[in-house]
Parts: sequence; structure tokens; C-alpha cells
Amino acid sequence: MNRVALKGNKISKASLDRAELDRVISGYAGKPGRLLGILEDAQKLNQHKYLAQDDLEYIAAKTKVPLSRIYNIITFYAFFNLTPQGEHSIIVCRGTACHTRGSRNLLDFLINLFGFKEDDFSQDGKSFLTTKDNKFTIKTVACFGQCALAPVVEIDGNIYSRMNSEKLRKIIKGICLRRNKK
Amino acid sequence: MEDKKVSLKIDGKVYECDAGMTILEACAKAAIDIPTLCYLKDINQEAACSICLVEVKGAKTLLRSCVTSIKEGMEIFTNTERVRNARRLNLELLLAGHPKDCLVCDRNQSCELRKLAFDMGIREVRFPKTTKTELPLDATSVSLSRDPNKCILCGRCVSVCSAIQSVKAIDFSGRGKSSKVTTFFDSGLANSVCVNCGQCLLVCPTGAIIEKNAIEEVWHALSDPKKFVVVEVAPAVRAAIGEEFGMPAGSLVTAKLAQGLRKLGFAKVFDTQFSADLTIMEEGYELIQRIKNKGILPMITSCSPGWIKFAEHFFPGILGNISSCKSPQQMFGAVAKTYYAEKYNIDPRNIIVVSIMPCTAKKFEASRPEMQSAFDYWKNKMALKEDEAFRDVDYVLTTREASRLIKEAGINFINLPGEDFDEPLGISTGAAVIFGATGGVMEAAVRTAYEVLTGRQLEKLDFMNLRGLNGIKVADIDIDGLNLKVAVANSLSNARVLLEEIEEGRSPYAFIEIMTCPGGCLGGAGQPIPTNNEIRLKRMEAIYREDKNKPLRKSHENPAVQALYKEFLGQPLGEKSHHLLHTYYKKREGVL
Repeated sequence: MNRVALKGNKISKASLDRAELDRVISGYAGKPGRLLGILEDAQKLNQHKYLAQDDLEYIAAKTKVPLSRIYNIITFYAFFNLTPQGEHSIIVCRGTACHTRGSRNLLDFLINLFGFKEDDFSQDGKSFLTTKDNKFTIKTVACFGQCALAPVVEIDGNIYSRMNSEKLRKIIKGICLRRNKK
Repeated sequence: MEDKKVSLKIDGKVYECDAGMTILEACAKAAIDIPTLCYLKDINQEAACSICLVEVKGAKTLLRSCVTSIKEGMEIFTNTERVRNARRLNLELLLAGHPKDCLVCDRNQSCELRKLAFDMGIREVRFPKTTKTELPLDATSVSLSRDPNKCILCGRCVSVCSAIQSVKAIDFSGRGKSSKVTTFFDSGLANSVCVNCGQCLLVCPTGAIIEKNAIEEVWHALSDPKKFVVVEVAPAVRAAIGEEFGMPAGSLVTAKLAQGLRKLGFAKVFDTQFSADLTIMEEGYELIQRIKNKGILPMITSCSPGWIKFAEHFFPGILGNISSCKSPQQMFGAVAKTYYAEKYNIDPRNIIVVSIMPCTAKKFEASRPEMQSAFDYWKNKMALKEDEAFRDVDYVLTTREASRLIKEAGINFINLPGEDFDEPLGISTGAAVIFGATGGVMEAAVRTAYEVLTGRQLEKLDFMNLRGLNGIKVADIDIDGLNLKVAVANSLSNARVLLEEIEEGRSPYAFIEIMTCPGGCLGGAGQPIPTNNEIRLKRMEAIYREDKNKPLRKSHENPAVQALYKEFLGQPLGEKSHHLLHTYYKKREGVL
């Protein structure tokens, strides 16, 4: 049994202003399914678009939802991030329809484009890769529900349909140009 | 409405069953045991494992019998080719991802998955393992160890932790093939609200959750000629350990156990029941003092360490209600390394106290940093250095671990004629035996409190309304015109009800007993597997039988306890008691 034992290290420190978080929580008071809304807003408020452990502990205490339950929810939905994200997110759909229309090639293209190794990207569970300069995060999702438009890639919240690597390259180039102008 | 009957056919025979029953329950009435892996009546009915499939005429697919209600005219087939193949296939898929180290697995003898694979005729594993990565072991807790690789995601542990204990330390995380049972951010049980009760372990069908084993450490101590190794045995152990040797549930093996432990090489075989009697003296006087001095009421018992950690996490506002008495396990350790060491002139540093408990939380309790009163007692007297610190209780073994020691030593347990415990710390009364059952501490305390308060002999010793498996039991006890309102809760979800009453200032009780595990210690997570209500009741009968047969049945009549006060402690709640037998509780951070 020479396996690694779990460590109880905290991954991240508090990042959100408590007053701001209180406003979010009270905004959902009495609403059914409020926890999802609170978590969504909390993630948006975070400048690195993720849910920090301390913030989640605060939300748990305020909403009286057990921590284990919150962890269940945030690990179930691909939308929630548990670690800091790059400024721009590129999400490749890996559902069946997108897969048959070449989404694996799109993912490989991105992995090469940003200089990652193929092994870096695990197909198990929620995994993602962020560039060293923290500008881009690439990840996958099981299905966007846009199968008729496969293959689909979401970039910074916009869904792009019938993608190919050439289109992808242009969009990313556009983002870089806009960044350089700033 | 309740007695509405439904007529249905099971495997061609007509049966009349109560409406609202599931197919699984109806089949059980028809003497057909449908195999299950995830089902736990009223606790876990998630239909996760898909082993309990049956064929129902007219239904498109096979149905999960654990969650399908019976209907009038239903025709059920439990043993067709289609049913057998589907059950086998589902089991084979579970086995594909499961480790194959059964030979060295802790649950080798009690694994439901292994038994089912055998019973269902699986003789080869056809499918390859689909998960490539090995998940890390959660070894953070001092009581429990979790191996998610052995988990079949049945959900029993999650349900028990939530529904029975209302602790909710664990839940599922992830999705699809990356699903697993874990704590918040995988931080491990020790960093969660887990109270170490181990009820998850008790219901786990595989070896995914096991106790932290101390067998090697105990062997090592027993082989060390410099050490004076004594053992204390909790009441509930004698009513259950026989099951580990193939004896029927409810076998009372007190004398065999004492002899078996002596054969293992323990210098003295003592009894936690001695310190249970001592606990009643301290706790009984504490209750009387609180009532007389208008102290904080209701007072709550403190013997069950799972409940103590539960209070520290979830009810920090009522810590003052909990009796400051240590549990019998810890009182024993403190007395053995002070009074006994002094009386028999043994260097306390050489005394090793091993306790045998029906409990996993006791391992945590013994490791609490404040549980070294004997060291504090000797520190100045012997000019000990801080790095010589020793615990009051060195090693805690569960009932199961103790049985393994006995088996490994080749002791033919069943055929042992039996011997007595050693004096003086092995002497006990019937009041101490019943600590092992829910309501027992209360009953024992009332027997003593009555006689101390009135100075008269209690005529009827059996308080029947404090006994039994009901989650919450209440009683009015008349002590010479003083009406003592008491309540007894077993399992933490039941305790929560009484605790919320206290928090809201509407608790009508003066004295409350709380036991963490369903049924009390006899249903603890250190006990033989399986433990279910039928078995709990049999162990309970054994415990009350032992009480009936004891010549002395009231704690204050225990001559060894009387001698302890006379020779060493002085009086209950005295100065020495305060240092050695009482403790304190602290709020725990980071949770709801």
C-alpha cells in the first residue's frame, strides 16, 4: 500500500470581497435552486473565473448547504472551475456528434498551437490546460447540445459552429491582435 | 388503507402482499432473496447497482426490484435466463474496475461483492479494467481509511452519513466514469466534519472503507519484555465478538474473551466495565450537583466520542451541557497509569494500555492531545520531560481486530472454558454491562442517582422504557417526588432533534443520553459485519442477560470502585477526579 495519501492542503485562499458575496447570496434568498445561481455569480465575480475554496466555505456557511454537497455540485457541472483560468477560454465539444465530425483534431490542433504535450491533457474528468502566460485555457465539454452544428467550439462565451482548424486559428489570431492593440 | 392487499404472481405462484411494497420486499415474503449490493432499507434506495433486476410481464425492460412497487396482477419472474444474464453482466462490469487483491483485503471474509460474485457463478473476469489511474488512498483519519479504488459507488456510505448521522462529511463528486465518493476538495476525512463513527464502514459492501489497524503495534508491545501490557474490554464486545468465530448473534462470551486475551499474553486482563461504573459515580454526582446548584441542564452523557466531535462541529453553543466526564475508555487509561501503577509499583512509562472497543471513533478519542492525564500526573512527581509524554490509552482495537489477534495466535476461541477478569480493574456491576446498549448509561445512572438521592434501595432495577431500538426514548423518573425528565437518543440524526430543542431553549429534559451509533455501542462500527437490526436486537438481549446475571447491578456497589475512592481518589468530583477523570470540549472551525 505505498500509495500517495491525500493531503489536506488548501488549494486557494479567499479571493472575493465578503460584502459582494453577501449581496450575491441575498439576491437569491428564497429562490429554488439558488445555490447554482450563487455559484455561477461567484465564479463570474472572480477575476480568474473560478470558485476558490475559502469562498465556497463562506457560501456553505451562509446557505447551510454541506461542503460535501457543494463539492458534489461544482465537480458535476463542467461549467464550474476549481482552479484559476486563463483570460480567454476555448472549450472544445467532445460529444459524439462533434467527435465524428473531427473535434479530436481540433483539440490536437490547439494542444500543438499552444505548445502543450498531448499527454498533458487527460480525457478523464474535468481537465484543462492553461498557457504559461495565463492568457488561454483550453478544455473540453461532454456536449453543448448543438449537435446539428458540429463540431462546436466555445470561445469566451460565444459558440462557433462547423469549426475547422483554419477558422480556429483565425479567431485566436484575432484575439491576440486585439490584445496587442490595447 | 394500510391493510390493502395486492395479488400478484411470483415465479408462477400467487401471493397476497401489502400494497406499497417493493418487488424486492414481496419476493422476500415469498422466500426469494434477490441479490442486492446498494440497497439498504429506508436508507439507501438509489437503484445504483442494478443487480436486483427482475422480469415483469408486460414491462419493456428488466426492472430494479428495490425501487419498483408491486401492482395488482403483476407477474414477476426472478430466475429466468434473461434475468440471470443481465445480473451477471452488471456484476461483471462492476468487477472489471475492482482491484483483485481479495486475498489480502481487510474485508475478505465479509465482502458482499466477493460473496455475490461467487454465488452468481462468476468464475472469470471477462472485461478489462477501464480506469487507468489509481486514486489516492484517504489515510488522513486516525480511525478510518478509505480506498476509492475499491468503491463500487453504491452510495450506502453517503446515505448513512447523511440520513442516519446527519453529518454529511462525504458525497459523490465528479460525473460518469470519474465519479467517486469524497470529502470537500478531496481534503480527506480528518479535515472534514467526519465524526469517525464509521457507520459508512459498517454498510460498505466492499473493502473501500476500513478501520485504521493497530494489530501490529499491539503484537509489538506484547513481545516487548520491558512493557507491562494491560487490556480493557468494552461491554458491547462480549456480546458480539463470538460472531467473528462463527457463533450465532447474541452469544455472550465474556469468560472466553477474558481467557482468550490472557492467552495472547496480556499481563492483566481488565474490563472497561470497571471504569463504566466509575463513570456512573462521577457522572451521577455531576448530575446531582447540577440539579442542586441549578447548573446547566439538561446534562448530556459524554461516553460516545463520535457524538462529542459532532457537538464540537455542529452544536458549539451547547458544549456546556455535556458532562465533563471522560468516557470509560479514557477513565480506564488514566486510572491504570496512576492508581494501579502506584498501588503495584509499576513505572507508568512501561504500562501499555490496549483497549478493545466496538468503535472506530475511540481511536480518535484516544489520540486527542488532552487525553494524557496520567503523564500530567507523573510529570512533576517523576521529573519527566515533555518528549517522554505518553497517552492514557496507547492502542485501540476494534472487536474485529481483537478477533484477528486471537485467530492469528491459534486460540480455539469457541472451545475455551472461560476465565474471570483480573482484579481490581476487572470488577464490574450489571450497570456497567448495559453501557453497551442505547439507554444503558441512562439506566445505570438512574439506578445510582436514585439511591444516592433518597438513601433508599431501588426496588425495580429494570427501566424497560429506556430499552430497545427506538431512535428517541423518553421517560419520567420519580425520585421521591422529584420528577426527572430524561431522554435517550441513538444515532446522530436523532440526537440532532434533542439538541435543536436545547438550542432553542425548549428542551424539557434534565438528563439526556446520546449514543452515536444506531442501537448504541453494540451497533458500533468496530463490531462484526454484518450488523443489522436483527443482529443488534440479539446483541442487546445478550447485554441485558449479562446484567441480570451479575450479583451486583448498581455502580456504587462496585467494591473495586469503592476501594479506588477510598485509597486514591477521595470522593466523586474531588480534586484528583477533576484532573484524571474529567475533560473539556472545544469548538471546531471550518464547518457549518
